[in-house]
Amino acid sequence: MTGALHRWLGLLLLAGALALGSAAAQAHPHVWITSASELIYAPDGALTGVRHAWTFDDMFSTYAVQGLESKTKGAYSREELASLAQTNVESLKEFAYFTFAKADGKKAKFQEPVDYYLEYRDGLLTLYFTLPLKAPVKAKELSLEVFDPSFFIDFKLADKEPIKLVGAPAACRMTLHRPNDGAASAQKLDEQTFMGGDNSNFGAMFANKIMVECP
Amino acid sequence: MTPISRRASGRALARGLAIAVAAIVVMLALDGAVHAVMAQNPFGAPRPAEPQASGIVGWLLSKQSEFYREMSATIRAAKSDGSAVWTLLAISFAYGIFHAAGPGHGKAVISSYVVANQETARRGIVLAFASALMQSLVAVMIVAVCAWLLNATARTMCGAEKAIEIASYALIAAFGARLVWTKGGGFMRALQARPQALAVAAHPHDHGHDHPHDDHGHDHHDHVHADDHVHDEHCGHSHGPEPAELAGTGGWRRGFGAIFAVGIRPCSGAILVLVFALAQGLFWAGIAATFVMGLGTAITVATIAVIAVSAKDLARRLSSGSEGGGALVMRGLEFSAAGLVLLFGVGLLFGYIAAERATCL
Repeated sequence: MTGALHRWLGLLLLAGALALGSAAAQAHPHVWITSASELIYAPDGALTGVRHAWTFDDMFSTYAVQGLESKTKGAYSREELASLAQTNVESLKEFAYFTFAKADGKKAKFQEPVDYYLEYRDGLLTLYFTLPLKAPVKAKELSLEVFDPSFFIDFKLADKEPIKLVGAPAACRMTLHRPNDGAASAQKLDEQTFMGGDNSNFGAMFANKIMVECP
Repeated sequence: MTPISRRASGRALARGLAIAVAAIVVMLALDGAVHAVMAQNPFGAPRPAEPQASGIVGWLLSKQSEFYREMSATIRAAKSDGSAVWTLLAISFAYGIFHAAGPGHGKAVISSYVVANQETARRGIVLAFASALMQSLVAVMIVAVCAWLLNATARTMCGAEKAIEIASYALIAAFGARLVWTKGGGFMRALQARPQALAVAAHPHDHGHDHPHDDHGHDHHDHVHADDHVHDEHCGHSHGPEPAELAGTGGWRRGFGAIFAVGIRPCSGAILVLVFALAQGLFWAGIAATFVMGLGTAITVATIAVIAVSAKDLARRLSSGSEGGGALVMRGLEFSAAGLVLLFGVGLLFGYIAAERATCL
């Protein structure tokens, strides 16, 4: 009797684990961001930070400006969007700004964003912000990923100039891995997959990975 | 009854348990697989070495996210061309069907509830449709009041969404706790009744004379039949609650609890569509799209609820041959389904389970 009960409980746990596991893989995006970023280097060749320009899709852009006051209907100035930009960067903190950097395999941490503002053009919002590194790094191999682990937001690298190196040493070479070029699937089981604890790192599969090698 | 038949019944019990658990695992795995397929395929996402699904279903799967993106273009188009509204409704319907596979649409809660509470497939369908209807209504209400009447900002709306979200998770947890409480009693009684039931099975003549069902027959020479009727919960041994208790008015009130707990939480996608439609001056088109989306969602949730009920019926049939085990398996199944509702509620509340995020950025 107890044997059967134990077996029953064991299988029950398995079923529960399956249910929770499937919950992790079921998200799909509601917001789309086209991302263009700059890697900013100091004169001594150390990376000091990342500057993002994220353009939201039209549905989310419309949603975000809902109820905002503006002098001209359908146009919003940088000042009129200032409080929204403030809200944006504040809520992005919870998600680590969806920006994950590693210098020679070691996680590089960012400070809170500076120089942030929003622009509204052709019905689309673009959020500009700079993430300074806590400590500038000189890395032989730097990787930068921009993605939402829970895949509520789908990040796509801009077609034109998705990444710019600003002031980088001449010898640095950059490579891009877009999620749909097959390169991304190789990284889906890396360390990122197992951190965070909320079993929702599904978005890593769709990550945009930028590699910069400075020999 | 001889020890041999007792051993045989033990085997039957084990078999019943194994089959019931297998049914649950298969169902959950299927559910998970569907999610994985859906989630993996937003336009051109990597699907290494996996063949594309073919035909209409494959096309719909691969288009799932695009549907959503097309909604904004279609709403824009509807401003000048009224016929685009039909396209919008078609897209919304298809999107609703596939979108419901994602989190936050009450599949788990509704399915677990119908299993825990001995509901019929028909009630599963009613619950799915009612909760989807309520989700649509809440989404429309939030946008109508916040955005249209008060011209509130996205920040306010997202605050409302977050508050409702927490309330919904707390409700699911409370609802699950209540189910666990009621189902736990039945399960414990079934566990305790088990040795008693074996004794009963050895002397079937002493029992069962007061039960109200005439159609059982009283062929005491047929052991299988005798076992069946002794262990049927209808037979006056009062293991677990009577079916009348569950399907009566109280049952409907509890059903309302499920509808409310699930339905109070609107879908972020619907809110985005509604606000967008409102900004385009086509709020009514957004409302129509939201309800059609809800219809699609209901179809998916109802299908899963019906599968859950069928799986449970199968488990009941397969386990009914074993003495005592039948009731035990069923009570155990109901108890675990109740536990699952509680786990979901608590998991969602404390963020262990990833849910659809409110649109707060």
